[in-house]
Order: sequence, then structure tokens, then C-alpha cells
Amino acid sequence: MIEADFPFLSFLIIVPLAGAILTGSIRNTDIAKHIAFYVAILTLLLSLFTLILFDPSYGEFQLVERYTWIPLLNIEYLVGVDGISILFLPMTALLTLMTMLAAWNSVSLLTRFHFALLLALEGVSFGIFCALDTVLFFLFWELTLPPFFFLIGLWGIGSHRRSAAMKYLLYMIAGGVPILLAFILLASNHAHHIDEMIPLGLSFSLPVLLNTPLPDNLQVIVFVLLLLGFAVKAPLVPLHTWMPTVAMEGPTHVVALLVGLKLGVYGILRFAMPLAPVAAADFSWLLSVIGAVTLIYAALIALQQTNLRRLLAYSSVSHVGLVIVGVASLTVQGLQGAIFQMINFTFMASALMLIAGFIHHRIGSTETIHLGGLSSVMPKLTFFYFLFALASIGLPGTSGFPAELLMIIGALNTHSILGFAALSGAILSAAYMLSYTRKAFLGPVTRSDIKQVFDLKPREIALLFIPGLLVLIFGLFPDYILNINQSASEAWLSRLTIQAP
Amino acid sequence: MDVLVIFIPLFPFIAAIIIGFGYFSSQVMGLRGELSSSDVARNAIYLSSVSAILLLIADLAGENSGSKMVGQWLDSGNFVVNLNFITTGFNVVVAALFSVILVIITVFSKNYVHYEPGFRRFFFVLSLFSSSMFLLILSGNAIGTFIGWELAGLCSYLLISYSYERPVAVINATRVFVTNRIGDTGFILGMALSFYFAGTVDWTSLNGMAETLSTPTVTVISLCFVVAAMAKSAQLPFSPWLARAMEGPTPSSAVFYGSVMIHSGVFLVILLQPIIDKAPFTMGLLVIVGLATAIYSYLVGLTQTDVKSSLCFAITGQLGLMFLECGLGLWELAMWHMCAHAIVRCFQVLTAPSLIKNVNGNPMKPASPFFTNRRWLYIASIQRFWLDPITDRTLVRPVYGLGHDLDRFDKNIIDRAMGDPVSSFTAISSLTQIENEARRKRVDEIQMEFVRGKGIVGKLLEWVANIMSWFEERLVLRGIGMDLVTIGRNLGHAANMFELLLLKPRYLVLFVFIVLMLAASI
Repeated sequence: MIEADFPFLSFLIIVPLAGAILTGSIRNTDIAKHIAFYVAILTLLLSLFTLILFDPSYGEFQLVERYTWIPLLNIEYLVGVDGISILFLPMTALLTLMTMLAAWNSVSLLTRFHFALLLALEGVSFGIFCALDTVLFFLFWELTLPPFFFLIGLWGIGSHRRSAAMKYLLYMIAGGVPILLAFILLASNHAHHIDEMIPLGLSFSLPVLLNTPLPDNLQVIVFVLLLLGFAVKAPLVPLHTWMPTVAMEGPTHVVALLVGLKLGVYGILRFAMPLAPVAAADFSWLLSVIGAVTLIYAALIALQQTNLRRLLAYSSVSHVGLVIVGVASLTVQGLQGAIFQMINFTFMASALMLIAGFIHHRIGSTETIHLGGLSSVMPKLTFFYFLFALASIGLPGTSGFPAELLMIIGALNTHSILGFAALSGAILSAAYMLSYTRKAFLGPVTRSDIKQVFDLKPREIALLFIPGLLVLIFGLFPDYILNINQSASEAWLSRLTIQAP
Repeated sequence: MDVLVIFIPLFPFIAAIIIGFGYFSSQVMGLRGELSSSDVARNAIYLSSVSAILLLIADLAGENSGSKMVGQWLDSGNFVVNLNFITTGFNVVVAALFSVILVIITVFSKNYVHYEPGFRRFFFVLSLFSSSMFLLILSGNAIGTFIGWELAGLCSYLLISYSYERPVAVINATRVFVTNRIGDTGFILGMALSFYFAGTVDWTSLNGMAETLSTPTVTVISLCFVVAAMAKSAQLPFSPWLARAMEGPTPSSAVFYGSVMIHSGVFLVILLQPIIDKAPFTMGLLVIVGLATAIYSYLVGLTQTDVKSSLCFAITGQLGLMFLECGLGLWELAMWHMCAHAIVRCFQVLTAPSLIKNVNGNPMKPASPFFTNRRWLYIASIQRFWLDPITDRTLVRPVYGLGHDLDRFDKNIIDRAMGDPVSSFTAISSLTQIENEARRKRVDEIQMEFVRGKGIVGKLLEWVANIMSWFEERLVLRGIGMDLVTIGRNLGHAANMFELLLLKPRYLVLFVFIVLMLAASI
């Protein structure tokens, strides 16, 4: 662990949170909006600066900051990053900026509150990716709920937005309980291990817990609890039904945040598997099966969807399934591919969802029966949609390809039959993406109201341009991403394989 | 002279970027735009053709070292993919030949698609296609070949749906892409297995290891690649996609399905000659598939009445013969056959539209008596042996059906079991629905609903409470009456439904698949 000489990460967490307070407290809506925008840009620059400070050759945690927080329970304020989490910081900042630009003109109710919430969400997400103390992580984890609850409930586009927000909240609270339970079990096990009394010997710090041996039967319990909690957020079948509901009811830019930030999978990667290595290795087949079922199940349902927002929700669930298969393969290739794919999501899945929002904003629907022949009226929008759809299919030249290739190679090396499932998922994803493209974008224009629709505005092109460029750059030069998480992935794997021979 | 190989795919790629960017920013419009984009495409393909021919001359003079390494593309653990090219032998010959064909077709297209609305789009796709085709042929490793392979497939999708206002064209394009995707998974599987067994995805080292690998391993690896080749070269059972693909403009048909892309399957098989030579089973499969496709195409081709379809079946027939030659070990013949076929077909497909004009009004030649005497064969030929409907029945519809059932399962069972406050699936859209909903609620309330719960725990409690109240009311207060009959009937109905669902073949297949999956993963 390398301690930081300047609290960069805390700074990164605090800037958007302070920006949120500032945005909320300024009276003038227009100024507040601009302040929020500039804070988001500042955060993006800061996060890129952190990326420069980061040393990819070192596999353990870096830029670590440690302060005592609740001394009675040995809870610390401990933040740090490694090769697995570092890339999510600039990506989260970029995603927030994209959503802000997408919502720039479409939000008229409580505008200041809306932009303040987006900033707060950004800060809290940074907290999730940086936190190395389990209690601190849990705090940030639960703090994502209020912003999402209000964002979905107040600015949703469906008639059931309030209930959808409630549904999301209930799911996430239910998911939080097993996570907290598992963290308490781990802390008390540490006390037991060093033969101390309960309040004195407790430890919630991740680096300490990683080096504390855990009895095998307890490992199974901890692993299952954490998996259950994170599977709700990921989401994995059968805990995924909040996703299509929120996609239909919530505002598209918030749904873009939800599909873009893969916090659940990150939790599995950071906590569930390394903290219970023996159980994770023993149950990797189960994890793969769950992943494969999620992959095929959601892909088959996506084949039936006529609404772009629900299609994208199921496609996102299906992709999570593939990521889980990649992680559970317990190979460097599978793991690096999974991280790569999670980074892809932050701009690819969310950009598709934002495009769905643009269509909804213009035509009032994303159902195929209300669309058709969009490509002749909106060529630019169609171009971007097609580019991201190809990335989502995993076509070579786009960033989806190296990620999928690595995951499939990892999966085929460990659980070959599940590799087949991943391959059939690749066929299905082409089928559902392209058949929606055919119905909505190609073919003749059948409805007269579509003929008067405007193509993308400069603001919208600007916000789609960067992710579009990233899709191509990451697709053509994947080594940039892979070099950053190479040593961290190897360290992650060796921890799992040493403790579970 | 090895350096030349880099420029062959690079020139058209740059051209594609220039045309694409110009198209997107709409800087060049109208006739000027047409001229500039076709000029860019033409000059790029001229340059890469010159490089390819120079490379061929250098190779014939013995100047080339055999491979050219550009750099590392991807590395993860021990999985390393380089960007490298092959600069000798058959690959270079094919590259030179295809580059000349591409020059001819690019020049031909300029006048052919003149004043069409998608002029620049056409040249963008053509340049991208040329680039990916050269990458496919010249890449020194399987990943590079696969990238070219997939991008060529994408270009084919884009050109089949060239006139995207026509619904048939876009349906065919989607179908063709997804069919090819099945073959592509074979390719991915082949790459993964070669990495797993041989530890490399480089063509040269993979072929070099043919001696050391065991026969089953070699068989499995070669089978995966051969399936990919079969799909790309439209062999049975993938053949029907070719007829659908003829939807695009004529130059694109010539370049994709007449002379260039369609041969990439055969090319892949020839590239893997050392591996396939060691796998007798794969050789046998090549013979069977090639022969069956040749016979099938001959029989179907006899009854075709339009020029593009008869060309299409002639092409698959010839490709079938090439597969047959490979399977019999006549590699040299297959190479010659492939090159000669590419040249002849390019000419034939490009002249097809003029042919239609020239023979316009000529009487139709009747079918031969051999055919008319064998009615069944005749019908089968006209129906193209029902290959498309069979695929629909056995593959497409079950998958869609499964999707449909899962969708309902997701809405009605999983979503409800989780106990949500709302389900977007039952969102109310009309007044009638609201009224119906309200009426149903009232009826529910009148009935014995004692408590109402949500979710598994809530439902459990509700059931317990309801059973208690039911027991109290029906058994104790009223005694056993007609209700038992109703319950029995309902139960029987439910069981019937279950049986019906189980009888559908897709569930049987799915069940077997799940059992296999579980068995293999443990």
C-alpha cells in the first residue's frame, strides 16, 4: 500500500459533493446549472489527473489516505485505488457530464435540485470506487439511494414513476441488509482471530480483512450473503425486475447512469470474491451458471421487446451475465475482459440509453409501432445509435470486441460449456439489436409526425462524440486499458488462487 | 520489401475514414461530393493494388522474409496478440488478385451508382470492405483475420440494406448477418481452442504445431474453423443466405458474393492446410459438405429463372467443388480453382444487368424433360429444398417462442414473486382498463380476501391467513359442498396447461441443454 502525500481521492469525492450543495443553494436556476456543469468538468479533469498519478505497474492499493473515524469500533476513513478501480473514476466523471448535457434543456421542474442530485451521485459513486473500509463503503453504497430515489420519482417519464422509485429503493435496501451482515461477520471474525474482545478487536478495513484467515464454513456464508446483496444491484436473474421497470418509468439520463455504473459487479469483484477466496473458488461454477443463465435468459427476453428502453434494460442485464461468467472463469483473460467490459458500459450502454431518451424526447415514444424509417430523417442519430449498437454486439473495431473476446477465451478455458452459452449470447445479441434497428431505424417512414423530427442538436452531438470516439479508440488500441489493470488483475487472481489451492 | 504489406489494408482504411467523416459532417454535398468520395476510394484502392502487386513481385523474386511484425495489439496474461502480416506464398497471390478485382469493381461502381442517394455511403462501405478483406488475407494471426472477417460481414450487411427504405432488403440483411454470426462463433471457438491447446493464435506457429498436437485436438480445432468457413462460403446448411444477399446493388453483389468475400471461407480452409491434413474427420466433412452443396446447387440452379439467382447457385456449386477438392487433399487444384473462379465470376456478375437488358423479350427456355418427369425433384428444386422454412421451423421460431414464454414468465411470475409495489408491465393505458381493474378489485374484495400481502413473505402470511379463514368459513361453517368440485376442476386445468407446455419440443431441448450444462460444469 502506498500512502498519498496529498488527499487527491478525498478531494475528488468532496468536490462534486460541495458542488452539489453550491448548486442547490444558488437562487438563479441558470447560474446554478452552469455551476453544476463546470464542477462536473473540473471533476473530470481531477479524475484524469488522478489517473496520471496512478502507477499501473504496482498491483496493490495506491494513493491511500487513512484517518480515524469511529475509534470505538475501529472504523476508519480509508480510501485508495488499484488498477481495478482507477479507471472507473474518469469514466464516472465522463458519464455524469454526459447525463448533465443530455438533461440540460429537458428538466424544467426543480432544476437546481436535479443538477445538485446528479453531482451528489457522482461524489458518492467516487466514494464507492475508492472506499477501502467496509463501513465507509457501505455508507457510500446506501447513499446512492436517496439521489436515485428522487431522480426517478420526480423526473420520471412514465405514469408509475413514484412506484418505480419505491420499487428501486425497496430492492436496494433489501440488498443492503445481507451486505452489512457479511461485513459484521467479517469484523467479528477478525476479533476472534486475534483473540481480542469484540469492540477492541473489530476491524472493518479491507486490506486487513484480506489478510485475516476465515474458517471455510464462514466463508460460504459470507460469500453467499455478499453475492446476494450485490446481485440485486448488478442485477442478476431473478433479482433483475427492477431494471426494466425503472427503464420504462425513470428519466432516460438517470437510467443511463444506472446501466452505466456497474456497482454491483464491482462489489462482487472487490469484496465478495477476495474476502471469501476459498468459497469463491469452490462456488465459481455456481457463479458461472448464474451468469450464463442471466446472459441467455435476458437475451431471449430482449428478443421479444418492442420498446428500446426495455430492450436496453434487458440487454444490460444480459451483458452483466457475460461479465459474471468472465469473472468466475478465474483467469487473467476473463477478469481483464470483465473489467474492460464494465468500463465499456459506462459510455456504451449509457450512450444508447441517452439516444433512446433523445428519440423519446422528439417523438414521445420508443415503441417500434411509433417509429420506423428514422434513419432517413435522423441520419446522425442513427449513425451514433448504430455505432454503439455494434459495440454492444461486440463487433471488431469497437471496444466491445476485445472485452468479449477475452471473456469468452477465459470462460472456454475454465468452464467450456458455459463458454458455449457466452457464444450463443453473442448470436442472440446480434439478433435483438439488429432486429430492433431494422424495425425502428430502417424501412420506409410510415408515420407523418416522424417526417418533421429534427436531427441531433450540436449539444447532443458533442455529448455523444466523446463516447463514440472512445468506442473506436478502445476498440483499436485495447492495450491502453489492459496495461492499467494488468498487474492489479494478476494480484487479485493470485490472492484467490493462493488461499484456495 | 515486407513493409509494403502494411500499406495494402491501410490505404482503403484511410479512404474509408475520409469519406465517412466527410459524409458525417456533410461538408461535401451533391455532385462534387460524389466525385471527391469516389476519387478518394479509387485512388486508395489503386495505391494498395500497386503495393500488393509490388509485394507479389518481391515475393516471386525471393525478397520477402515471410512475415512483418508491426506491434502488439493486445496482451492479457499469456494471451498475446500481435499485429503481424504474412508476406509470402498464397496469401500474397490472393491479395494481389483481389486488389485488381477491387480496382475494377470500384471503377465500375462509379458510373453504376451515379446519382443514387447513397453514393458516398456506398464508397465508404466499399473502402472499408477492401481494407478488411486485405486484413483477412494478410494477417499473420487468427485475431486479425477474424477482425477482417467480421468487418467484411458488417459491410455486407450495410450493402444488402443499401436501399434501406425497402423492408425486404433490411429483413434479408438482418437475416444474413445473424446467419453469418453463427459461423463467426465457430471462428471464436476455434481461436479459443487453439490458444488453449497450442498456446498461440499465430497462423504460422499454429500450422507448425500440427505435427505435435494429437489427432482429436487437431480435429476439434479444424472443425471450428471449417464451420466458420462453411457459413462464410454459403455451404450447406448455411446456403440460403446467399440468395437473400443478392438484394444489394450489382457491384456489391459482384465484390461480395461473386468474387471476393465469398471465397474467404475457402481461403481459410486452404490457410489451415497443415492442420486439416492431420484431421481425417474434418477432411471427410469437407468432402461431404462440398459434394452435397455442389449437387444441391446444381439441382436448384436448373430451375432458376432470373440471372442473379442462377449465378448465386452457380457460385455455391463451384465453392462446393472447392471444398470437395480441399477435402480430397487436392490443395493445389483448389487454389487454382479459387483464383480462376474469382476472375470469371467478377466478369459475370458485373455484366448481369446488361445481360438482362440484352435477353429482354427472349422466350423462356422450358425445363428439361429429365426434370419434368420427376415431379418431386422439380418441386424440391423450385422450393430450394425448403431450407429456409426448415431453419425457420427448427431454429428461429423456437428461439423466438422461448423468448416469448420467458418474457411472460418474467412479467407474471418473477416480477410478482418479488413483491413489487408496481409492475410496469401492467401499466394502465386506457379508461376501460382502469374500470376493469377496479371491478376486479371489488370482486376480489367481495370474495374471501382476508388479508393482502406483497412479496414472498407477505404472500406466505396471506396464504396462511386465507387458508385459516377459508377453513373456518367453508369447512366449519358451510361444510363440504360444491367448492371441492370447482377446486378439482381448476387443479386439473392447471395440470393440463403444465403438460401442454412440457410437450413443446423447445422445452425438451432446453431441459436437455440445462442438464448437460450442469453436468459439464461440475
